[in-house]
Amino acid sequence: MTPTSVVRRGPIYWWESYVAMLRFDFARHRAMLVTALASQLFMGFGLVIMYGLYLGSVDSATGLYLTSGVPALSLIPVGFILIPLLIAQDKRAGTHEFTWSLPGPRSATAASTFTLFTAVSLPVALLSTVLAAWRFDVSLSVTWLVVPAGVLVALMGTSVGFGLAQAIPEPRIVNLITNIVVFLVMLFSPIAVPIERFPDWLATVHRVLPFYHMASLLRWTVSDGLVASPGTSTAVVIGWTVLAWIAAAWVLGRRR
Amino acid sequence: MTALPAATRSGSGYWLASMVSMLRWQLTSLRLVFPVLLVVQVLIAAGFTVGIGLFFDEVPAPVALFLSTGASVITLITVGIVVAPQLIADEKASGTYDFTWSLPCPRSAAVAAWVVVNAVVAIPSMVAALAVGSWRYGLSFQVNWRVATAVALVLTCASLIGYALAHGIPNPNLTQILAQVFAFTIFGFTPINYPIDNLPGWLASLHRLLPFYHMGVVVRDGLTSGLVGEIAVSYLTLGAWTLIVGGITARALRQRR
Repeated sequence: MTPTSVVRRGPIYWWESYVAMLRFDFARHRAMLVTALASQLFMGFGLVIMYGLYLGSVDSATGLYLTSGVPALSLIPVGFILIPLLIAQDKRAGTHEFTWSLPGPRSATAASTFTLFTAVSLPVALLSTVLAAWRFDVSLSVTWLVVPAGVLVALMGTSVGFGLAQAIPEPRIVNLITNIVVFLVMLFSPIAVPIERFPDWLATVHRVLPFYHMASLLRWTVSDGLVASPGTSTAVVIGWTVLAWIAAAWVLGRRR
Repeated sequence: MTALPAATRSGSGYWLASMVSMLRWQLTSLRLVFPVLLVVQVLIAAGFTVGIGLFFDEVPAPVALFLSTGASVITLITVGIVVAPQLIADEKASGTYDFTWSLPCPRSAAVAAWVVVNAVVAIPSMVAALAVGSWRYGLSFQVNWRVATAVALVLTCASLIGYALAHGIPNPNLTQILAQVFAFTIFGFTPINYPIDNLPGWLASLHRLLPFYHMGVVVRDGLTSGLVGEIAVSYLTLGAWTLIVGGITARALRQRR
């Protein structure tokens, strides 16, 4: 029997590959998703509870600031920690090579990773925020813009984590970077703390890194008067997404 | 070939000699990890002292004192409780573990050597933590002699907790996960870096039974004056915990397979 010849290009083929990869990714990461949700709850809700304990008493202004930082805090672990670790693990186990040997377009494969983890991370970010608002007795003023902003920020996180893990060949360095990110985000990032409290040099660094801008953009959509305008932050978040895609495209486009 | 001299494998001289060689053995096998450990320890100490300070508009003096002394306690116990179980889980996975216990050394000597190794990493980090605190917040500490007893007790207790965890639980993966949980709990939800009054009532009561809060109390008592009231209960609780985890470790290590 001669195999039927298939046209392996065009938007329909791309879409079919994308859907197939999405099913494949969902099936193989199913067990990991619980870990993902737990880490998100911890980084989002757990961290602000911890900050509250350190502060002793939390007044309503501080409570609002802490709570409006939760969406960003709980989106960070999926993109910046979980995805790099999963890819590092895939590289060690050889799954990485297998995935890229599949006949789907690589952009469809990458898009499936972004979709899956963006979709997974958003509901828990919402849950963490609701829990934090309840804990600190804060009423947020949420606008509908939180939806596109949330999608954009989650997409940026997954893209940067993906680009990072693809572009750096040594998994141990990827591990090191994720550890540094955890530490930096927990203690030294203007997410739950106003950036004005940071020394100038660190504030400057944070105006380039994505974390502060993720937080500002989301804070603008869930609170009144804390963030003047989201223009710069939106631009920086989009910039990081595009940068990550370029890095990923460059690495994935090469043949070995 | 001359016959090997028959060695006496008992007595305090033999125990001491074994401890010294286990100490050398452990220090040598950790030589690559050591610099990293020290750097990480100092970063954690500095991170908590300086980083948490950012959450306050103006750091009140008692908070600064609490943070700096708390960070020093945390550096004392992280190696024992968090790092050691992971190292031992690695050893179990790679087989080094079985090899080490096949060596002709009293196992208690190996445990004692491990407490000394912990001290070698932890005490410099503790000093670094205090130095960062006094540099950042202009603090002065009032050190008294009780700090020596406190540090010795806290180090022993923490090392043995880690050992009990690592040796008492056969599955290395579970040990790894527990070590992570411990790390988060100690950093975030333990009244070492902040007063116990900041905790909700039920968690405070729980912490009065667990060793971590008391570790903070005894070390802080040796470094400051006026922050800590009652210390007898803390010393007693810590002593009891040291005996319990020591017992678990002894039981796990005595078993033959």
